[in-house]
Amino acid sequence: MLVALGAAALVTFPYWSAPWASRFATTLLRDALILAIFALSLDLLVGRAGMPSLGHAAFFGGGAYAAGIAGQQLATDQLPVTLGAAALVGAVLALVIGVLVVRSEGIFFLMLTLALAQIVFAIAFQWTAVTGGSNGLSGIGRPMLASIDFSSPDLMYVLVAVTFVLAALVVWGLARSPYGRALIGVRENERRMRALGYDTARLRLSAFVIAGTIAGIAGALSAYSTRFVSAQDAGLGNSVRAFVTVLVGGAGTLGGPIVGSAVVSLIERVVPSILPTDLRISEALLGLVFIGFVLFARQGMAGLGRSAWLRVSRR
Amino acid sequence: MSPELVFQQALNGLSFGALLFILASGLSLVFGMMDVVNLAHGAFYMLGAYVALSVVQATGSFWLALLVAPFALGLLGFVLEPLLLRRLRGRHLDQVLLTIGVSLVIVDVIGQVWGREVRSLSAPAGLDGSVTLIGGVYPVYRLFVMAFGVALAAAMGIVYRRTRIGMLIRAGVQDAEMLGALGVDTNRLFASTFAAGAALAGLAGVIAAPVFGVQPGMDTDPGLLYSLVVVVVGGLGTLSGAVAGSVLVGPADTFGKVLFQDVALAVIFAIVALVLLLRPTGLLGRIRIAR
Amino acid sequence: MIEIRDLRRVFGGVVALDGVTLSLGEGERRAVIGPNGAGKTTLINALAGETTPTGGTIRLGGQDITRLRPWQRARLGLAHVFQRTELFAPLSARDNVALAVAARRGPYRLFRAVPRAEYAEAAAVLERVGLAGREGVAARALSHGERRQLELAVALAQRPHVLLLDEPTAGMSPLETARITELIAGLDRALTILIVEHDMDVVFRLADRVTVLHEGRVIADGTAADVRGDVRVHDVYLGKAVTVA
Repeated sequence: MLVALGAAALVTFPYWSAPWASRFATTLLRDALILAIFALSLDLLVGRAGMPSLGHAAFFGGGAYAAGIAGQQLATDQLPVTLGAAALVGAVLALVIGVLVVRSEGIFFLMLTLALAQIVFAIAFQWTAVTGGSNGLSGIGRPMLASIDFSSPDLMYVLVAVTFVLAALVVWGLARSPYGRALIGVRENERRMRALGYDTARLRLSAFVIAGTIAGIAGALSAYSTRFVSAQDAGLGNSVRAFVTVLVGGAGTLGGPIVGSAVVSLIERVVPSILPTDLRISEALLGLVFIGFVLFARQGMAGLGRSAWLRVSRR
Repeated sequence: MSPELVFQQALNGLSFGALLFILASGLSLVFGMMDVVNLAHGAFYMLGAYVALSVVQATGSFWLALLVAPFALGLLGFVLEPLLLRRLRGRHLDQVLLTIGVSLVIVDVIGQVWGREVRSLSAPAGLDGSVTLIGGVYPVYRLFVMAFGVALAAAMGIVYRRTRIGMLIRAGVQDAEMLGALGVDTNRLFASTFAAGAALAGLAGVIAAPVFGVQPGMDTDPGLLYSLVVVVVGGLGTLSGAVAGSVLVGPADTFGKVLFQDVALAVIFAIVALVLLLRPTGLLGRIRIAR
Repeated sequence: MIEIRDLRRVFGGVVALDGVTLSLGEGERRAVIGPNGAGKTTLINALAGETTPTGGTIRLGGQDITRLRPWQRARLGLAHVFQRTELFAPLSARDNVALAVAARRGPYRLFRAVPRAEYAEAAAVLERVGLAGREGVAARALSHGERRQLELAVALAQRPHVLLLDEPTAGMSPLETARITELIAGLDRALTILIVEHDMDVVFRLADRVTVLHEGRVIADGTAADVRGDVRVHDVYLGKAVTVA
């Protein structure tokens, strides 16, 4: 009930906040929610199944390009088509990359995901005829559902917020299901899981495909929000950004990636507006925060919150 | 392709390979000793190039920069290892993650201090000319790079074979307890190793600057990406692996760009993925699975 | 139930299994003994699919499983208690067992809560192995003995046809050893059990037949009484003769 009210409040934010909040707040929240969807999908891999992927941007970028290119090539603005294309491309890319990586572990997994995502980036960067290459892809169509046009800032926000709520519900539903618990089993002891009769490679692959699909949709939303797709959307920097978001928020929790995206957005967007304009150090701040969490609070904000709650409730 | 062109490209490929070796040797060294893939290696490389830029601007001496930049980076590495990595000893994956944060900080600080424009550093006087070789003109600096790469590989080979530290690296000893039992001060050893890796990255930054330029983004491409490619293809954590990787990747990349043009980058990473899949420890790597 | 024919496993230059032939009938309880390095754990690992044999065949209920992956063998009814406990350390004892219960129905059940029945079954199995009241404790917070009990509970929750036990009492106190021995002795007689064990009291209490491995070969095979009297066994166990006699 409380969750439903919260979700309704979130989705309608631009309307009830209009008297006191600026349009900047709506844009900021929209981009934070896109990052949250992206981070939630990565956390399925990093937090639940224990797969530290440094290549998740491949699916985000793939989805962004797919939505833009599908709209142009098929001459349609209809969201079911373009978002569907984004989800499909995210899923297929994740299937292909997943098949190759699910048997690797630890540092090798990390490097392999990085290398494979770099192939996707290289294709996006160099296949100018289709992706626009280093100039990026512009001319993204309007996000239309039947005859509703979501391209106004407020409606674009609503589209993103609704998708976010759905994505969070999906991840929550997966996490509490036998499937989600099996992923945790793979994370904690793959050998034991195999001995119990779980095909762990297939389990990991399925998580990869689900995560890639959601990331692809996040990418499409990003393409619609900025009306532009850059090869960097599929680049290492974007993968790192999602990874930082998950770890700062707290891997393996539902709230973690969401809180993490709020923190990252604050550092990336709000802090620079406070600092003098010639001081552009938000990446460095993000790096410092990340280092702090890896060193002192590996469970992220969610872990800090949990231990603080335990301390209070024990009294 | 005419024979002259092939020769020219082969020479280009080998000099690129020599650059790659200088770039990747530090990453390989740190992995060999500490089992940590230092994802800040590219940022170290970038910082080396910018420090060199400042030294050359202040003194006009490329050769002084070639001394100062590695020294400065070595110092940085010597401070960072005990400050950050040591706290996570034994947790290799977390150490790797930590270096991502280090990279973000360094790259942004460079942008703040030196600006975010494309800069360049010219080859030192005496090496900035060209010579005629088999029908083509060839920049002298590239020949110098090749000689430098070979000399560095030889020097590292001597260190690996003749010194106590080198033996430890070759033996793949990184178990802190075992090292302690051998009477090694592990704290100092790891700090020195990390410092040496950073210094090598700084050295690569100076040497590569006249060829690759000095600009934002160089930390990833060529910095981190190419050094990863080299150590993955050749073999993680061994000197011979780094040599083999550079000798393979340098010409492969050069000819790839000539032959495949647009898809060259994708081809290189496809090779990397293939090697990681078929032989995760690289062509000449030790068999060891790090978690 | 199990038929092992001419099984070989070579690690580098070391021969761990040198042509082992062995068969177990349904419901048979067989102990494999032998000095350290005899190949006992390699044999169990080859049966469970943790190591791929260099040569020979393994059949389970007539089906050739030599090349099957561990999870495929588990699906066919094989359960493995590892020598070094393999558990889900941060998960509760209940969740550890529930994952084994759930394995029988497969993991692809999305968007619904974990059925209560699975937890109830897990609790029942935990009670059977003597861990009642410890359901909520994380595996890593249990004592060594309790973790061995939990390891057994996890294997039993798979409802296997064949149970592979690799030193189930390793590191246990005499009291814990006695308890777990009685527990195994009281298991369903239809369950085929292969047990590797150093403690001869446990071996002679549980096993119908005993196989003695030495340097990767079977050097004796027979009833407990046969093996007790076998001269070669005494030679192998020279210095340990007291425990066998």
